[in-house]
Amino acid sequence: MLTSIKTNHLTSSGQKLGMMYFRVAMVLFGAQLLMGLIAAIQFLYPGFLFELFDFSVARMVHINALVVWMLYAMIGSVYYMLSEETEHAGVAMGLGKLAFWVLTLAVTVVVLVYIFIQIGPGKESTIWLINEGREYLEAPRWADIGIVVVVLTFYWNVFATYMAGKKTGIMTVMVANLMALAGLYLAGMFFTDNISMDQYWWWWVIHLWVEATWEVFVGTLAAYALIKIIGARREVVEMWLWIEVLMLFGSGILGLGHHYFWIGTPEYWWEIGALFSALEPVPLIAMFVHVLYDWGKEQGGSGARETVKNNPAMAWLVTNAFGNFLGAGIWGFFHTLPQVNIYTHGTQFTAAHGHLAFFGAYATILVGMMYVGLQGAYGVKEMKSTFNSKMAIFLITFGVVGMTVALTIAGYEQVLVERAELGGGWNAFFTAQDLPWYIQAQLWRTIMGVVTLVGFVYLVIDLLTIGKKAQQAEA
Amino acid sequence: MFFESFTDVVPSFFGMLNQGPLTLTLFLHTFIVLPMFWIYASEKKRLNK
Amino acid sequence: MAQENLSVWTSIPFWRRSAAWVTGFATILLIWLTFDTMGQISMGTDADLQQRVTKRVPAATVINYHIEYKMSEKRGHEVPVIGKKEPFFGKEWSPKEAAALLHLGKLTSQAKNCMNCHTLLGNGAYFAPDLTKAWLDPAWQKGGALQPMTGKSTVEEAMSEFLMHPSQYPTHARMMPDLKITADEAKGLVAFLKHMSSIDTNGFPRNFSKTVDQFKTGGTNAH
Repeated sequence: MLTSIKTNHLTSSGQKLGMMYFRVAMVLFGAQLLMGLIAAIQFLYPGFLFELFDFSVARMVHINALVVWMLYAMIGSVYYMLSEETEHAGVAMGLGKLAFWVLTLAVTVVVLVYIFIQIGPGKESTIWLINEGREYLEAPRWADIGIVVVVLTFYWNVFATYMAGKKTGIMTVMVANLMALAGLYLAGMFFTDNISMDQYWWWWVIHLWVEATWEVFVGTLAAYALIKIIGARREVVEMWLWIEVLMLFGSGILGLGHHYFWIGTPEYWWEIGALFSALEPVPLIAMFVHVLYDWGKEQGGSGARETVKNNPAMAWLVTNAFGNFLGAGIWGFFHTLPQVNIYTHGTQFTAAHGHLAFFGAYATILVGMMYVGLQGAYGVKEMKSTFNSKMAIFLITFGVVGMTVALTIAGYEQVLVERAELGGGWNAFFTAQDLPWYIQAQLWRTIMGVVTLVGFVYLVIDLLTIGKKAQQAEA
Repeated sequence: MFFESFTDVVPSFFGMLNQGPLTLTLFLHTFIVLPMFWIYASEKKRLNK
Repeated sequence: MAQENLSVWTSIPFWRRSAAWVTGFATILLIWLTFDTMGQISMGTDADLQQRVTKRVPAATVINYHIEYKMSEKRGHEVPVIGKKEPFFGKEWSPKEAAALLHLGKLTSQAKNCMNCHTLLGNGAYFAPDLTKAWLDPAWQKGGALQPMTGKSTVEEAMSEFLMHPSQYPTHARMMPDLKITADEAKGLVAFLKHMSSIDTNGFPRNFSKTVDQFKTGGTNAH
């Protein structure tokens, strides 16, 4: 991946820019894992880095690095597919490159401030300069504004190129969806004394990103990748894409209601949230069937194996089909009904769902797109999995599933003891945290976190070397 | 009683619909799905031409 | 012409139009619902409190009243009940003062990043107790474990003392770090917590109002 800066077979400036976004994404992915490990250790040894680098800081950087690396990889993927889909070199790519450097500089400053300054006094200046203190949207207001400017530049690149070039169904969905994705960020950029109002709009950003626009984004990437990797027929893929849009937005937009059960909002959200979000797994089943069916069909013919042009990317794409359905679909459905959620809301159950869903639905396909990018950057016709690729995907998937299972067990224990038995509150919370089953689960979570980190090291090594190896093999 | 008396704090249009087993959500789902029959029929007509 | 070419189920325009309809209509419904909800969750006024008008989110002056969390037969879950007036930090706060205090408290809760250890209304991180009804927690009341630890005799004074010097009052191996919270900020935070406990959360957390006695006997009704 690094050498691809110099020996680059990519001719489109959009694709080169996409590779730059991928590189930063991987650095942030690494930061996410390290911070997660610190936070996991603090569950077991509360004295670890106490009053130096507290849980709140580690956890904030953990989830922010997650969101930002995914946004980087998403932007990178769009830049990568843009010129191929539109058959146009790209409009104002120089501006896009400038935006990349501005964004990267801003992200660096924000992270350094998170790590070294951490918190500020209870004044407006703190939320403007240090951190906004709203989970996932901690970025200080100055950075919010910067992000909006950069995203507008990115959107102009995509929109203008789309208008000037060929308009495929995939790009039509992409352009419309990106507008919603970018516009929603604005709902998180204000301050109010009313915590219910605060969380109402906060969920507009978080939910309508993660459970609506990001999912549609994944559908679009999968469509592009299936055509690219196994040569799936465009008409079939695009028909599925529209079905996915229909079902994802049909369930996901009003599924927002499942976050409005307990934040002060009216009781009618119980029914809306429950029944619409209960349908959210349906499109994920559809996506799962679609990917595996197409794969099976292409593999089934004669000369089967040659049809997969990028093995590691395909492996991650299939993991995405499983992971999205299990993590977002099943683990989400577990606690989406208010009758269950009144006990599970705000427990490790949510953390279990969060880990498998973010990994299964997003991390997998974005890593797949990086392999697609590498194939292009090294001009390789066929990309075969190496030992490192296999170790990477196995260890990371095993680690994340392990963490999810451990957190689910911790969550069960917490739900039953802290919530059902003791009814919540200070004493109930710590009583549940001290039970051996909970502590064992946290220990296993930490071990599985280390497994994930080892897998990540394999992934980085693979991304740095696989291109050259494939090139030499073909030469 | 099949239909419950109003329980929420403030009466509102959606609150009124929310007064029985799944009444509100069934209403909204129906409202969303019904027009798709019309979309289906018009597509069928267009394809047959 | 082959029959399958005529199937609507494999027609891209059919799915495109359906997707557009469903997305558009769901969006309109969400916007409509948002307007309805906004009306219901905007903060009440001091007059509402005086006239006993129930609001989902009461005015900041709710800090001048006694708050309880009680089972409602009608609703089928616990709801906050606003009772008689009681002094907060030894005085009654005017609407203006109360609003300023709540503003300081909410701002401090963000500036100190509370949400990345605690949950507020159940949202946040899962490293420390949920704060939704923290004001009503039996542990902070007279006879609870936390109040005497700080040497104070009211809930608000005990909470603000704890917030200013959390690591001096360890309640567990997992301690709250010293976040350099000033006396004013601590008062603001306690006002923020008291206000949050008065929000109608549709019964979350369920079964919260256990008595101190129940806690003392290990959380059961056994005698």
